[in-house]
Amino acid sequence: MTAAAMAARVDAVIAGRAKAKAVRYAGYVVLFLLVLWSIHATIIADTDWDRLGGIASVMRAVGRYASIDIGLIPHLWEPMVETFMMACLGTLLGCFISLPVAWFGALNVTPSKLVVYPVGRFLMTLSRSIHEIVWGLIFVSAVGLGALPGILALACRSVGFISKITAEAIENIDPKPVEAIRAVGGNDFQVMYYGIVPQIMPIVIGTIIFEWDINIRRSAIMGLVGAGGLGLTFHRQMVMFNYPGVTTVIFAILLLIMLGELISHRVRKAVI
Amino acid sequence: MTILEVIDLRARYAERGPEILKGISFQVEEDDFFAIIGPSGAGKSTLIRCINRLVEPESGRVILYGADVTTMSARELRRTRRHIGMIFQEFNLVDRMSVMDNVLSGRLGYIGNLRSLFRLFPRHDIARALELLNRVGLSDHVDKRADELSGGQRQRVGIARALMQDPQLLLLDEPTSSLDPKISREVMELIREIAKEFKVPVLCNIHNVQLAMEFCNRVLGLQSGIKMFDGPTDDIDRRKLDEIYAQEVL
Repeated sequence: MTAAAMAARVDAVIAGRAKAKAVRYAGYVVLFLLVLWSIHATIIADTDWDRLGGIASVMRAVGRYASIDIGLIPHLWEPMVETFMMACLGTLLGCFISLPVAWFGALNVTPSKLVVYPVGRFLMTLSRSIHEIVWGLIFVSAVGLGALPGILALACRSVGFISKITAEAIENIDPKPVEAIRAVGGNDFQVMYYGIVPQIMPIVIGTIIFEWDINIRRSAIMGLVGAGGLGLTFHRQMVMFNYPGVTTVIFAILLLIMLGELISHRVRKAVI
Repeated sequence: MTILEVIDLRARYAERGPEILKGISFQVEEDDFFAIIGPSGAGKSTLIRCINRLVEPESGRVILYGADVTTMSARELRRTRRHIGMIFQEFNLVDRMSVMDNVLSGRLGYIGNLRSLFRLFPRHDIARALELLNRVGLSDHVDKRADELSGGQRQRVGIARALMQDPQLLLLDEPTSSLDPKISREVMELIREIAKEFKVPVLCNIHNVQLAMEFCNRVLGLQSGIKMFDGPTDDIDRRKLDEIYAQEVL
Protein backbone atom coordinates (compact mmCIF):
# COMPACT_ATOMS: atom_id res chain seq x y z
CA MET A 1 0.00 0.00 0.00
CA THR A 2 1.36 3.41 -0.91
CA ALA A 3 1.78 6.15 1.65
CA ALA A 4 -1.05 8.21 0.09
CA ALA A 5 -3.43 5.25 0.06
CA MET A 6 -2.54 4.53 3.65
CA ALA A 7 -3.22 8.13 4.68
CA ALA A 8 -6.59 7.98 2.91
CA ARG A 9 -7.36 4.77 4.74
CA VAL A 10 -6.47 6.35 8.08
CA ASP A 11 -8.71 9.32 7.26
CA ALA A 12 -11.56 6.96 6.36
CA VAL A 13 -11.23 5.08 9.64
CA ILE A 14 -11.06 8.29 11.67
CA ALA A 15 -14.11 9.65 9.83
CA GLY A 16 -15.97 6.39 10.46
CA ARG A 17 -15.19 6.55 14.17
CA ALA A 18 -16.24 10.20 14.34
CA LYS A 19 -19.53 9.40 12.62
CA ALA A 20 -20.29 6.51 14.96
CA LYS A 21 -19.59 8.78 17.91
CA ALA A 22 -21.74 11.60 16.48
CA VAL A 23 -24.67 9.21 16.19
CA ARG A 24 -24.19 8.03 19.78
CA TYR A 25 -23.90 11.57 21.19
CA ALA A 26 -26.94 12.70 19.18
CA GLY A 27 -28.79 9.88 20.91
CA TYR A 28 -27.65 11.20 24.30
CA VAL A 29 -28.85 14.71 23.42
CA VAL A 30 -32.28 13.39 22.39
CA LEU A 31 -32.45 11.43 25.65
CA PHE A 32 -31.54 14.53 27.66
CA LEU A 33 -34.21 16.62 25.90
CA LEU A 34 -36.78 13.91 26.59
CA VAL A 35 -35.93 14.02 30.29
CA LEU A 36 -36.25 17.84 30.31
CA TRP A 37 -39.59 17.63 28.51
CA SER A 38 -40.99 15.07 30.95
CA ILE A 39 -39.82 17.17 33.92
CA HIS A 40 -41.69 20.11 32.43
CA ALA A 41 -44.84 18.15 31.59
CA THR A 42 -45.17 16.21 34.84
CA ILE A 43 -43.72 18.51 37.48
CA ILE A 44 -43.63 22.12 36.36
CA ALA A 45 -46.91 22.20 34.40
CA ASP A 46 -48.85 19.67 36.45
CA THR A 47 -48.24 20.75 40.06
CA ASP A 48 -50.77 22.99 41.79
CA TRP A 49 -48.16 25.53 42.92
CA ASP A 50 -50.70 27.83 44.63
CA ARG A 51 -51.91 25.12 47.00
CA LEU A 52 -48.41 23.92 47.85
CA GLY A 53 -48.09 26.60 50.54
CA GLY A 54 -44.87 27.80 52.08
CA ILE A 55 -41.89 25.79 53.19
CA ALA A 56 -43.20 26.10 56.77
CA SER A 57 -46.45 24.26 56.08
CA VAL A 58 -44.63 21.51 54.15
CA MET A 59 -42.24 21.12 57.09
CA ARG A 60 -45.15 21.08 59.55
CA ALA A 61 -46.91 18.28 57.63
CA VAL A 62 -43.72 16.22 57.51
CA GLY A 63 -42.92 17.05 61.14
CA ARG A 64 -46.05 15.28 62.40
CA TYR A 65 -44.35 11.98 61.60
CA ALA A 66 -41.26 12.75 63.65
CA SER A 67 -42.01 10.63 66.71
CA ILE A 68 -42.72 7.05 67.69
CA ASP A 69 -45.79 5.39 69.25
CA ILE A 70 -44.21 3.07 71.83
CA GLY A 71 -47.56 1.56 72.82
CA LEU A 72 -47.91 0.10 69.34
CA ILE A 73 -44.67 -1.88 69.45
CA PRO A 74 -45.99 -5.02 71.24
CA HIS A 75 -48.74 -5.32 68.62
CA LEU A 76 -46.26 -5.31 65.74
CA TRP A 77 -44.70 -8.72 66.31
CA GLU A 78 -47.56 -10.74 64.86
CA PRO A 79 -48.02 -8.75 61.62
CA MET A 80 -44.24 -8.75 61.14
CA VAL A 81 -44.14 -12.54 61.26
CA GLU A 82 -47.16 -12.67 58.99
CA THR A 83 -45.52 -10.34 56.48
CA PHE A 84 -42.37 -12.45 56.47
CA MET A 85 -44.32 -15.68 56.01
CA MET A 86 -46.38 -14.18 53.19
CA ALA A 87 -43.19 -13.27 51.36
CA CYS A 88 -41.73 -16.76 51.82
CA LEU A 89 -44.85 -18.68 50.80
CA GLY A 90 -45.63 -16.28 47.95
CA THR A 91 -42.15 -16.71 46.53
CA LEU A 92 -42.27 -20.49 46.91
CA LEU A 93 -45.63 -20.74 45.17
CA GLY A 94 -44.37 -18.35 42.49
CA CYS A 95 -41.39 -20.67 41.84
CA PHE A 96 -43.67 -23.64 41.26
CA ILE A 97 -45.85 -21.70 38.84
CA SER A 98 -42.72 -20.34 37.10
CA LEU A 99 -41.46 -23.83 36.31
CA PRO A 100 -43.93 -24.62 33.49
CA VAL A 101 -44.07 -20.98 32.38
CA ALA A 102 -40.29 -20.88 31.88
CA TRP A 103 -40.38 -24.22 30.12
CA PHE A 104 -43.14 -23.00 27.77
CA GLY A 105 -41.50 -19.66 27.16
CA ALA A 106 -37.93 -20.75 26.36
CA LEU A 107 -37.57 -20.99 22.61
CA ASN A 108 -35.13 -23.90 22.59
CA VAL A 109 -37.07 -26.27 24.87
CA THR A 110 -40.71 -25.21 24.46
CA PRO A 111 -43.05 -28.10 23.58
CA SER A 112 -44.59 -26.09 20.76
CA LYS A 113 -43.33 -22.86 19.27
CA LEU A 114 -46.71 -22.05 17.74
CA VAL A 115 -49.12 -22.62 20.61
CA VAL A 116 -47.39 -23.03 23.97
CA TYR A 117 -44.53 -20.56 23.51
CA PRO A 118 -46.78 -17.49 23.05
CA VAL A 119 -48.85 -18.63 26.05
CA GLY A 120 -45.69 -18.77 28.19
CA ARG A 121 -44.56 -15.36 27.00
CA PHE A 122 -48.01 -13.89 27.56
CA LEU A 123 -48.15 -15.21 31.14
CA MET A 124 -44.74 -13.65 31.85
CA THR A 125 -45.89 -10.26 30.62
CA LEU A 126 -49.29 -10.50 32.32
CA SER A 127 -47.70 -11.25 35.67
CA ARG A 128 -45.43 -8.25 35.47
CA SER A 129 -47.82 -5.75 33.93
CA ILE A 130 -50.32 -6.04 36.79
CA HIS A 131 -49.13 -4.31 39.93
CA GLU A 132 -48.93 -6.34 43.14
CA ILE A 133 -51.61 -4.10 44.72
CA VAL A 134 -53.93 -4.85 41.83
CA TRP A 135 -53.19 -8.57 42.14
CA GLY A 136 -53.99 -8.14 45.85
CA LEU A 137 -57.33 -6.46 45.09
CA ILE A 138 -58.25 -9.25 42.69
CA PHE A 139 -57.50 -11.99 45.23
CA VAL A 140 -59.08 -10.16 48.17
CA SER A 141 -62.32 -10.03 46.21
CA ALA A 142 -61.86 -13.66 45.20
CA VAL A 143 -60.91 -15.35 48.50
CA GLY A 144 -61.63 -12.69 51.13
CA LEU A 145 -59.43 -10.81 53.61
CA GLY A 146 -56.30 -12.17 55.32
CA ALA A 147 -52.87 -13.49 54.40
CA LEU A 148 -54.05 -15.96 51.74
CA PRO A 149 -54.90 -13.36 49.06
CA GLY A 150 -51.55 -11.69 49.81
CA ILE A 151 -49.67 -14.94 49.22
CA LEU A 152 -51.53 -15.57 45.97
CA ALA A 153 -50.90 -12.00 44.81
CA LEU A 154 -47.16 -12.22 45.54
CA ALA A 155 -46.97 -15.59 43.79
CA CYS A 156 -48.64 -14.23 40.67
CA ARG A 157 -46.47 -11.14 40.68
CA SER A 158 -43.27 -13.21 41.14
CA VAL A 159 -43.90 -15.53 38.20
CA GLY A 160 -43.12 -12.92 35.56
CA PHE A 161 -39.59 -12.12 36.66
CA ILE A 162 -38.52 -15.59 37.78
CA SER A 163 -39.83 -17.34 34.67
CA LYS A 164 -38.51 -14.70 32.30
CA ILE A 165 -34.98 -14.83 33.70
CA THR A 166 -35.12 -18.63 33.84
CA ALA A 167 -36.34 -18.86 30.24
CA GLU A 168 -33.58 -16.53 29.12
CA ALA A 169 -31.02 -18.58 31.03
CA ILE A 170 -32.29 -21.70 29.28
CA GLU A 171 -32.00 -19.98 25.91
CA ASN A 172 -28.43 -18.89 26.65
CA ILE A 173 -27.04 -22.21 27.84
CA ASP A 174 -23.90 -23.66 26.38
CA PRO A 175 -25.17 -26.28 23.87
CA LYS A 176 -22.09 -28.48 24.21
CA PRO A 177 -23.11 -30.41 27.38
CA VAL A 178 -26.58 -30.89 25.86
CA GLU A 179 -24.99 -32.38 22.78
CA ALA A 180 -23.00 -34.77 24.97
CA ILE A 181 -26.08 -35.94 26.91
CA ARG A 182 -27.91 -36.48 23.64
CA ALA A 183 -24.92 -38.39 22.27
CA VAL A 184 -24.97 -40.89 25.15
CA GLY A 185 -28.62 -41.66 24.33
CA GLY A 186 -30.39 -39.44 26.86
CA ASN A 187 -34.12 -38.76 26.45
CA ASP A 188 -35.68 -35.29 26.61
CA PHE A 189 -36.11 -35.36 30.36
CA GLN A 190 -32.52 -36.52 30.90
CA VAL A 191 -31.23 -33.85 28.53
CA MET A 192 -33.08 -31.26 30.56
CA TYR A 193 -32.06 -32.62 33.95
CA TYR A 194 -28.41 -33.35 33.18
CA GLY A 195 -27.66 -30.90 30.37
CA ILE A 196 -29.68 -27.79 31.16
CA VAL A 197 -30.65 -27.63 34.84
CA PRO A 198 -27.09 -27.66 36.27
CA GLN A 199 -26.14 -24.82 33.93
CA ILE A 200 -29.02 -22.51 34.82
CA MET A 201 -29.06 -23.29 38.55
CA PRO A 202 -26.84 -20.39 39.71
CA ILE A 203 -28.89 -17.83 37.78
CA VAL A 204 -32.22 -19.29 38.88
CA ILE A 205 -31.27 -19.46 42.54
CA GLY A 206 -29.89 -15.92 42.45
CA THR A 207 -33.13 -14.71 40.85
CA ILE A 208 -35.32 -16.49 43.39
CA ILE A 209 -33.40 -15.00 46.30
CA PHE A 210 -33.65 -11.57 44.69
CA GLU A 211 -37.38 -11.99 44.13
CA TRP A 212 -37.88 -13.13 47.74
CA ASP A 213 -36.02 -10.06 48.90
CA ILE A 214 -38.37 -7.85 46.85
CA ASN A 215 -41.40 -9.84 48.01
CA ILE A 216 -40.70 -8.85 51.62
CA ARG A 217 -41.15 -5.23 50.54
CA ARG A 218 -44.25 -6.07 48.54
CA SER A 219 -45.83 -8.08 51.33
CA ALA A 220 -45.29 -5.15 53.72
CA ILE A 221 -47.82 -3.10 51.74
CA MET A 222 -50.26 -5.89 50.88
CA GLY A 223 -52.35 -4.95 53.92
CA LEU A 224 -53.32 -1.65 52.27
CA VAL A 225 -55.87 -3.60 50.26
CA GLY A 226 -56.81 -5.95 53.10
CA ALA A 227 -54.36 -8.75 52.37
CA GLY A 228 -52.79 -9.01 55.84
CA GLY A 229 -49.39 -8.25 57.32
CA LEU A 230 -47.80 -4.98 58.40
CA GLY A 231 -49.60 -3.06 55.66
CA LEU A 232 -52.86 -3.56 57.47
CA THR A 233 -51.43 -2.06 60.67
CA PHE A 234 -49.99 0.77 58.61
CA HIS A 235 -53.32 1.44 56.99
CA ARG A 236 -55.12 1.50 60.38
CA GLN A 237 -52.64 4.03 61.82
CA MET A 238 -53.05 6.17 58.71
CA VAL A 239 -56.87 6.28 58.85
CA MET A 240 -56.72 7.02 62.61
CA PHE A 241 -54.39 9.97 61.85
CA ASN A 242 -51.93 8.43 64.33
CA TYR A 243 -48.79 9.82 62.68
CA PRO A 244 -46.28 8.53 65.27
CA GLY A 245 -47.89 5.10 64.82
CA VAL A 246 -47.28 5.33 61.06
CA THR A 247 -43.62 6.10 61.75
CA THR A 248 -43.40 3.11 64.10
CA VAL A 249 -44.78 0.77 61.46
CA ILE A 250 -42.37 2.19 58.91
CA PHE A 251 -39.50 1.37 61.27
CA ALA A 252 -40.85 -2.17 61.66
CA ILE A 253 -40.93 -2.54 57.86
CA LEU A 254 -37.39 -1.17 57.68
CA LEU A 255 -36.26 -3.71 60.27
CA LEU A 256 -37.89 -6.55 58.38
CA ILE A 257 -36.35 -5.50 55.10
CA MET A 258 -32.91 -5.24 56.69
CA LEU A 259 -33.38 -8.74 58.04
CA GLY A 260 -34.35 -9.95 54.58
CA GLU A 261 -31.32 -8.20 53.10
CA LEU A 262 -29.07 -9.92 55.64
CA ILE A 263 -30.54 -13.37 55.03
CA SER A 264 -30.49 -13.08 51.24
CA HIS A 265 -26.87 -11.92 51.34
CA ARG A 266 -25.89 -14.93 53.46
CA VAL A 267 -27.93 -17.43 51.47
CA ARG A 268 -26.63 -16.13 48.16
CA LYS A 269 -23.06 -16.55 49.35
CA ALA A 270 -23.73 -20.04 50.69
CA VAL A 271 -25.61 -21.36 47.66
CA ILE A 272 -23.88 -19.84 44.64
CA MET B 1 22.56 -8.49 26.13
CA THR B 2 20.40 -9.98 28.84
CA ILE B 3 16.87 -8.57 28.66
CA LEU B 4 15.24 -10.49 31.45
CA GLU B 5 16.76 -12.17 34.44
CA VAL B 6 14.68 -14.25 36.81
CA ILE B 7 16.34 -15.20 40.09
CA ASP B 8 15.08 -17.84 42.51
CA LEU B 9 11.42 -17.14 41.84
CA ARG B 10 8.90 -18.71 44.19
CA ALA B 11 5.11 -18.44 44.03
CA ARG B 12 2.03 -19.87 45.66
CA TYR B 13 -1.62 -18.87 45.38
CA ALA B 14 -2.89 -19.35 48.92
CA GLU B 15 -0.82 -18.43 51.94
CA ARG B 16 -0.62 -22.04 53.12
CA GLY B 17 -1.27 -23.52 49.67
CA PRO B 18 1.19 -25.64 47.73
CA GLU B 19 4.26 -23.93 46.27
CA ILE B 20 3.70 -23.61 42.52
CA LEU B 21 7.18 -22.34 41.62
CA LYS B 22 10.05 -23.67 43.70
CA GLY B 23 12.97 -21.36 43.02
CA ILE B 24 13.21 -20.80 39.26
CA SER B 25 16.14 -18.92 37.70
CA PHE B 26 16.85 -18.23 34.04
CA GLN B 27 17.86 -15.49 31.62
CA VAL B 28 16.40 -14.29 28.34
CA GLU B 29 18.77 -12.71 25.81
CA GLU B 30 17.86 -9.98 23.36
CA ASP B 31 17.28 -12.20 20.32
CA ASP B 32 15.80 -15.17 22.15
CA PHE B 33 12.64 -16.99 21.25
CA PHE B 34 12.50 -18.66 24.64
CA ALA B 35 10.19 -21.60 25.30
CA ILE B 36 8.89 -22.82 28.64
CA ILE B 37 7.71 -26.39 28.29
CA GLY B 38 6.37 -28.92 30.76
CA PRO B 39 3.32 -30.98 31.66
CA SER B 40 0.00 -29.43 32.68
CA GLY B 41 0.16 -28.00 36.18
CA ALA B 42 3.94 -27.59 36.09
CA GLY B 43 3.59 -23.85 36.74
CA LYS B 44 4.20 -22.50 33.22
CA SER B 45 1.33 -20.00 33.27
CA THR B 46 2.17 -18.92 36.81
CA LEU B 47 5.79 -18.35 35.82
CA ILE B 48 4.89 -16.20 32.85
CA ARG B 49 2.38 -14.19 34.90
CA CYS B 50 5.01 -13.51 37.56
CA ILE B 51 7.06 -11.61 34.96
CA ASN B 52 4.46 -8.82 34.66
CA ARG B 53 3.06 -9.51 38.13
CA LEU B 54 -0.41 -10.56 37.06
CA VAL B 55 0.50 -13.12 39.72
CA GLU B 56 2.45 -11.76 42.68
CA PRO B 57 5.54 -13.88 43.30
CA GLU B 58 6.23 -14.86 46.90
CA SER B 59 9.97 -14.21 46.67
CA GLY B 60 12.74 -13.94 44.13
CA ARG B 61 13.61 -11.25 41.65
CA VAL B 62 12.48 -10.45 38.12
CA ILE B 63 14.92 -8.05 36.49
CA LEU B 64 13.74 -6.54 33.23
CA TYR B 65 16.09 -4.16 31.43
CA GLY B 66 17.97 -3.67 34.69
CA ALA B 67 14.94 -2.78 36.82
CA ASP B 68 13.51 -5.13 39.44
CA VAL B 69 9.83 -5.66 38.64
CA THR B 70 9.05 -7.30 41.98
CA THR B 71 9.75 -4.18 44.04
CA MET B 72 8.00 -1.66 41.78
CA SER B 73 5.15 0.55 43.01
CA ALA B 74 1.75 0.18 41.33
CA ARG B 75 2.52 3.19 39.13
CA GLU B 76 5.97 2.01 38.09
CA LEU B 77 4.52 -1.42 37.41
CA ARG B 78 1.90 0.01 35.05
CA ARG B 79 4.62 1.95 33.23
CA THR B 80 6.59 -1.24 32.85
CA ARG B 81 3.60 -3.32 31.80
CA ARG B 82 2.85 -1.08 28.87
CA HIS B 83 6.15 -2.20 27.36
CA ILE B 84 5.41 -5.90 27.88
CA GLY B 85 3.12 -7.32 25.21
CA MET B 86 1.10 -10.35 26.23
CA ILE B 87 -0.64 -12.86 24.01
CA PHE B 88 -3.09 -15.26 25.61
CA GLN B 89 -4.31 -18.79 25.10
CA GLU B 90 -7.96 -17.74 24.78
CA PHE B 91 -6.97 -14.47 23.02
CA ASN B 92 -8.63 -12.35 25.76
CA LEU B 93 -10.18 -9.93 23.30
CA VAL B 94 -13.09 -7.73 24.32
CA ASP B 95 -15.72 -9.50 22.22
CA ARG B 96 -18.20 -6.65 22.12
CA MET B 97 -15.69 -4.14 20.79
CA SER B 98 -14.55 -3.75 17.20
CA VAL B 99 -11.26 -5.18 15.98
CA MET B 100 -9.96 -1.61 15.70
CA ASP B 101 -10.84 -0.75 19.30
CA ASN B 102 -9.31 -4.00 20.51
CA VAL B 103 -6.03 -3.18 18.79
CA LEU B 104 -6.15 0.44 19.98
CA SER B 105 -6.61 -0.79 23.55
CA GLY B 106 -2.93 -1.73 23.34
CA ARG B 107 -2.24 2.01 23.70
CA LEU B 108 -4.27 2.46 26.87
CA GLY B 109 -1.10 2.61 28.95
CA TYR B 110 -0.17 5.76 27.07
CA ILE B 111 -3.41 7.76 27.11
CA GLY B 112 -5.38 9.33 29.94
CA ASN B 113 -8.80 8.47 31.32
CA LEU B 114 -10.58 11.28 29.48
CA ARG B 115 -9.29 10.21 26.10
CA SER B 116 -10.12 6.57 26.91
CA LEU B 117 -13.66 7.56 27.93
CA PHE B 118 -14.35 9.13 24.55
CA ARG B 119 -12.16 6.61 22.68
CA LEU B 120 -10.16 9.53 21.29
CA PHE B 121 -6.98 7.85 20.15
CA PRO B 122 -4.42 10.10 18.45
CA ARG B 123 -4.19 9.91 14.69
CA HIS B 124 -0.77 8.26 14.72
CA ASP B 125 -2.16 5.48 16.92
CA ILE B 126 -4.95 4.81 14.47
CA ALA B 127 -2.50 4.84 11.58
CA ARG B 128 -0.26 2.44 13.47
CA ALA B 129 -3.19 0.14 14.29
CA LEU B 130 -4.14 -0.01 10.61
CA GLU B 131 -0.56 -0.73 9.66
CA LEU B 132 -0.36 -3.58 12.17
CA LEU B 133 -3.72 -5.01 11.12
CA ASN B 134 -2.37 -4.98 7.57
CA ARG B 135 0.77 -6.70 8.77
CA VAL B 136 -1.14 -9.55 10.44
CA GLY B 137 -3.44 -9.88 7.43
CA LEU B 138 -6.66 -8.48 8.85
CA SER B 139 -7.04 -5.27 6.85
CA ASP B 140 -10.52 -6.36 5.68
CA HIS B 141 -11.82 -6.89 9.21
CA VAL B 142 -11.06 -3.53 10.83
CA ASP B 143 -14.67 -2.57 11.64
CA LYS B 144 -15.96 -6.00 12.55
CA ARG B 145 -16.77 -6.95 16.09
CA ALA B 146 -14.10 -9.18 17.61
CA ASP B 147 -16.50 -12.08 18.12
CA GLU B 148 -17.25 -12.26 14.39
CA LEU B 149 -13.75 -13.57 13.68
CA SER B 150 -12.41 -17.13 13.62
CA GLY B 151 -9.93 -18.39 16.20
CA GLY B 152 -6.84 -17.79 14.08
CA GLN B 153 -8.02 -14.29 13.16
CA ARG B 154 -8.77 -13.51 16.79
CA GLN B 155 -5.26 -14.48 17.80
CA ARG B 156 -3.95 -12.17 15.07
CA VAL B 157 -5.92 -9.34 16.67
CA GLY B 158 -4.26 -10.32 19.96
CA ILE B 159 -0.87 -10.11 18.30
CA ALA B 160 -1.64 -6.69 16.80
CA ARG B 161 -2.79 -5.45 20.21
CA ALA B 162 0.47 -6.60 21.79
CA LEU B 163 2.53 -4.94 19.04
CA MET B 164 0.56 -1.72 19.49
CA GLN B 165 2.32 -1.41 22.85
CA ASP B 166 5.76 -1.08 21.21
CA PRO B 167 6.76 -4.01 23.37
CA GLN B 168 10.28 -4.60 24.61
CA LEU B 169 9.32 -8.14 25.56
CA LEU B 170 6.55 -10.42 24.36
CA LEU B 171 4.97 -12.87 26.79
CA LEU B 172 3.08 -15.69 25.11
CA ASP B 173 0.84 -17.85 27.25
CA GLU B 174 0.01 -20.97 25.23
CA PRO B 175 -0.70 -18.90 22.11
CA THR B 176 -1.68 -21.90 20.01
CA SER B 177 -3.55 -24.21 22.39
CA SER B 178 -6.97 -23.02 21.20
CA LEU B 179 -6.05 -23.35 17.51
CA ASP B 180 -5.85 -26.24 15.07
CA PRO B 181 -2.39 -27.55 14.04
CA LYS B 182 -2.24 -25.72 10.72
CA ILE B 183 -3.33 -22.37 12.16
CA SER B 184 -1.03 -22.93 15.16
CA ARG B 185 1.93 -23.18 12.83
CA GLU B 186 0.85 -20.06 10.92
CA VAL B 187 0.47 -18.08 14.13
CA MET B 188 3.86 -19.22 15.42
CA GLU B 189 5.46 -18.30 12.10
CA LEU B 190 3.86 -14.88 12.22
CA ILE B 191 5.12 -14.32 15.75
CA ARG B 192 8.62 -15.43 14.77
CA GLU B 193 8.71 -13.07 11.78
CA ILE B 194 7.36 -10.22 13.87
CA ALA B 195 9.84 -10.84 16.68
CA LYS B 196 12.66 -10.52 14.14
CA GLU B 197 11.13 -7.53 12.40
CA PHE B 198 10.50 -5.58 15.61
CA LYS B 199 13.61 -6.95 17.35
CA VAL B 200 11.67 -8.02 20.40
CA PRO B 201 12.58 -11.04 22.54
CA VAL B 202 9.85 -13.62 23.15
CA LEU B 203 9.12 -15.69 26.24
CA CYS B 204 6.64 -18.37 25.37
CA ASN B 205 4.73 -21.01 27.30
CA ILE B 206 4.05 -23.83 25.01
CA HIS B 207 2.42 -27.20 25.43
CA ASN B 208 3.33 -28.53 22.03
CA VAL B 209 6.92 -29.80 22.19
CA GLN B 210 7.19 -30.13 18.44
CA LEU B 211 6.36 -26.45 17.93
CA ALA B 212 8.76 -25.48 20.72
CA MET B 213 11.61 -27.44 19.08
CA GLU B 214 10.87 -25.91 15.72
CA PHE B 215 10.44 -22.27 16.63
CA CYS B 216 12.42 -21.65 19.79
CA ASN B 217 16.16 -21.35 20.23
CA ARG B 218 16.17 -21.95 23.96
CA VAL B 219 14.07 -24.15 26.21
CA LEU B 220 13.28 -24.23 29.90
CA GLY B 221 11.77 -27.50 31.08
CA LEU B 222 9.48 -27.24 34.08
CA GLN B 223 8.05 -30.03 36.20
CA SER B 224 5.99 -29.43 39.37
CA GLY B 225 7.56 -26.00 39.78
CA ILE B 226 11.15 -27.23 39.49
CA LYS B 227 13.51 -26.43 36.63
CA MET B 228 14.42 -29.73 34.91
CA PHE B 229 16.24 -28.35 31.89
CA ASP B 230 17.59 -25.03 30.69
CA GLY B 231 19.58 -24.81 27.48
CA PRO B 232 19.61 -24.43 23.72
CA THR B 233 16.92 -26.33 21.84
CA ASP B 234 19.62 -28.38 20.07
CA ASP B 235 20.73 -29.89 23.38
CA ILE B 236 17.37 -31.41 24.10
CA ASP B 237 16.85 -35.08 23.31
CA ARG B 238 14.32 -37.85 23.86
CA ARG B 239 15.75 -38.75 27.27
CA LYS B 240 15.56 -35.19 28.57
CA LEU B 241 12.02 -34.76 27.31
CA ASP B 242 11.02 -37.97 29.09
CA GLU B 243 12.52 -36.53 32.24
CA ILE B 244 10.55 -33.27 31.95
CA TYR B 245 7.34 -35.07 31.13
CA ALA B 246 8.07 -37.93 33.57
CA GLN B 247 4.61 -37.90 35.11
CA GLU B 248 2.86 -38.09 31.77
CA VAL B 249 5.06 -40.90 30.47
CA LEU B 250 4.34 -42.96 33.58
